[in-house]
Amino acid sequence: MSGGPEGRAPGGQDHVRSGEDGAQPGEDGMNILALRDVDFAYEEKPVLRHVSFALRPGDFVGVVGPNGSGKSTLVDLIDGMLRPGSGEVLVQGRPAHRYRRREMAREVALVPQQFALDFDLSVREVVEMGDYCRAKSQQPDGDAESTLARLGIAGLAPRRFSELSGGEKQLVVLAQALRQRAGLLLLDEPASALDVAHQLQLFDLLRMLNSDGLTVLCILHDLNLAMHYFDKLLVLSQGEVAAFGRPQEVLTPELLEEVYGVHAYVHHHAGRTFLTFSPRRRREVRGRVHLVCGGGTGSHLMRELVDDGYDVSAGVLNALDGDEAVGRELGLPMAVEAPFSPVGDRAHAENVELMALADLVVLTDVPIGNGNARNVEGISGALAAGKQVWAAAGVRENDFTGTVAQLSGSGLRFFDDEAQLLAELRRRGRL
Amino acid sequence: MTTLARTRSWLGLSLAIGVFVACLLVSLAFGPASLSLHDLVHYAITGPVHGDPGNTIFWQIRLPRVLLAFIVGASLSVAGVILQDLFLNPLTDPYVTGVSSGAALGATIGIVLHLSELPWMAVLALVGGFATLGTVWAVARRRARIDVFVLLLAGVTISYLVTAVISVIMIRAGQDMDAIVYWLLGSFSGRSWPEVKVALFAVPFMIVPLFFTKEMNILLQGEKRAMQLGVEVETAKRVLLVAAGALTAIAVSVSGIVGFVGLVVPHICRLLVGPGHRRLLPMALLGGAAMMGIADLLSRTMLAPTEIPVGVVTTFVGAPLFVYLLRRGRKTA
Repeated sequence: MSGGPEGRAPGGQDHVRSGEDGAQPGEDGMNILALRDVDFAYEEKPVLRHVSFALRPGDFVGVVGPNGSGKSTLVDLIDGMLRPGSGEVLVQGRPAHRYRRREMAREVALVPQQFALDFDLSVREVVEMGDYCRAKSQQPDGDAESTLARLGIAGLAPRRFSELSGGEKQLVVLAQALRQRAGLLLLDEPASALDVAHQLQLFDLLRMLNSDGLTVLCILHDLNLAMHYFDKLLVLSQGEVAAFGRPQEVLTPELLEEVYGVHAYVHHHAGRTFLTFSPRRRREVRGRVHLVCGGGTGSHLMRELVDDGYDVSAGVLNALDGDEAVGRELGLPMAVEAPFSPVGDRAHAENVELMALADLVVLTDVPIGNGNARNVEGISGALAAGKQVWAAAGVRENDFTGTVAQLSGSGLRFFDDEAQLLAELRRRGRL
Repeated sequence: MTTLARTRSWLGLSLAIGVFVACLLVSLAFGPASLSLHDLVHYAITGPVHGDPGNTIFWQIRLPRVLLAFIVGASLSVAGVILQDLFLNPLTDPYVTGVSSGAALGATIGIVLHLSELPWMAVLALVGGFATLGTVWAVARRRARIDVFVLLLAGVTISYLVTAVISVIMIRAGQDMDAIVYWLLGSFSGRSWPEVKVALFAVPFMIVPLFFTKEMNILLQGEKRAMQLGVEVETAKRVLLVAAGALTAIAVSVSGIVGFVGLVVPHICRLLVGPGHRRLLPMALLGGAAMMGIADLLSRTMLAPTEIPVGVVTTFVGAPLFVYLLRRGRKTA
């Protein structure tokens, strides 16, 4: 392991070639792990198909994919517990299933998904089990206590393992795996049973270990954690590699829809990129709702309506307005005006057009001023054309122009709050 | 208590050695004819002498019988630790593998055929024991792996089957039936040096597991985890199962089926020194020997001159103790 004097470029692993598909002949010398066209089946049921990818020393890779996509099987293949039906799993250039167990434990350490130990052993004894694969003379880097200290849990050493909380147990098992001093650490859903604080603690520790040179391959389910922490992600879908690359390039709404069958939205907020999900849209047409909103008054409603299966449009919104940003992330058709500008003719015309397409127009309790009074004008036109229009009761207090008051008597219906509106829409089903 | 794990265990082991020596002396001293500590030392130093009744009692009756009880107790107890921890099942004892039933069948055949002299009894019992182990092993073997849960179930099943065969033989046995029943209950009565010589073959099988304590500890996490940590699980399992089977077969061949020692002593030892095998195995060895020694002492003194079969004594002592431990264990769990 000490052969690589050049440090890793911070935050990146882009060497000469991009590692998209490193499983090419002649590159094994650089790869700590390489899978070449691996197939695996339990009995007759195929689990993995044509899986190829490679890891270089220092890689920090997350593995995501739906339940049953073959993630745990992949881990067992890499650790040599299973033998591929065809293809090759190479650890340090040598087929994984040809290793003796002790040799394998020196190359690959694993933190399992489930860890059962009902016996009354101390934490120190549990951690020391990781030393098994190493001869006594090969223990230059301290004892079990020092490994626990590295993970910030030195105080646990004398405790009984069975008395620890789930989060503490997970870290102790990580310490056990680290005692193997293997170059590659595999983790099978280490965070699933952990609360948010322990999750973050665990992934921060993994980052730290990675920056010390450990290669990490970690299965996890939380796509936002996957996106934040890992340099690269491997997406498995029905036993095949659906994507392998940088998180933000890999976790696209299109791919997630295909792999998980859900709608995904990419948001940028407070300097971070994150994903939210909606169930796959129902097939039936529920109708089209146009929102007249702004200043964040329509964001939540937009999302609720989209999740409920309505086609949603909005306008006129100023670019960079909170509602406009959400609408953009949700991919809604919108009439948009330049930032901080009053509604101009072109945007107004677009808005009128969108309203004409809608089955229902909803006016939120957005403050109405001179800049957006034309939106109320548009609503007035829609009412005149016989369109259903519902307005939040609060809009009357936020109207600084008096235009909303002029609409009374023209068929405008008021609702008290969003919950009432949504309940009414759900009751109706189709608009 | 938690931080004292190590202190606790060394204390326990010293205690065990003390108790062991005390049990050895008490077992040698008491009996229908009691010997003083001074006598014991004297006879031990002078060696066997003809014509001195005390010396003869010590060398020809007391010492071989006590040694045999100690070796059998240690064998069953060590086998119990191995099997309980391999099966990850606290209710396992050396007899669930079917080895004891097989040995009992061998011995029963020996009695019926009036071959009840050494070495025939021991040979037949050993053959029966190993034949059953082989059968159970073959059933549990799949794709070069031993499935311990199948092994457990197969052992229990074959045990029942063999016991049924023994019952049939007993019904047909006529006046040999008493001898069979007495043998099945387990006893050290009338055993002497020839049996001790057979029992000594158990010693290497007690020592072998001491070289596998790390593997046994790691196996407490399950076979898969043990493999991940670098243990050649199949090898370890094979060695340990053969050791446990041999210990059981040898013990049964010289003493019959003495119950409860292999079940209860491992649990008592875990309570004293914890589940780590580096301390647990020596402790079980000493504890099993001491308990069997005392049980045999009780069996020959309580209703003297009538002897109670030692299996009855261990059961009378072991059953309440085990129930107590079970209840206690539930509270702490």
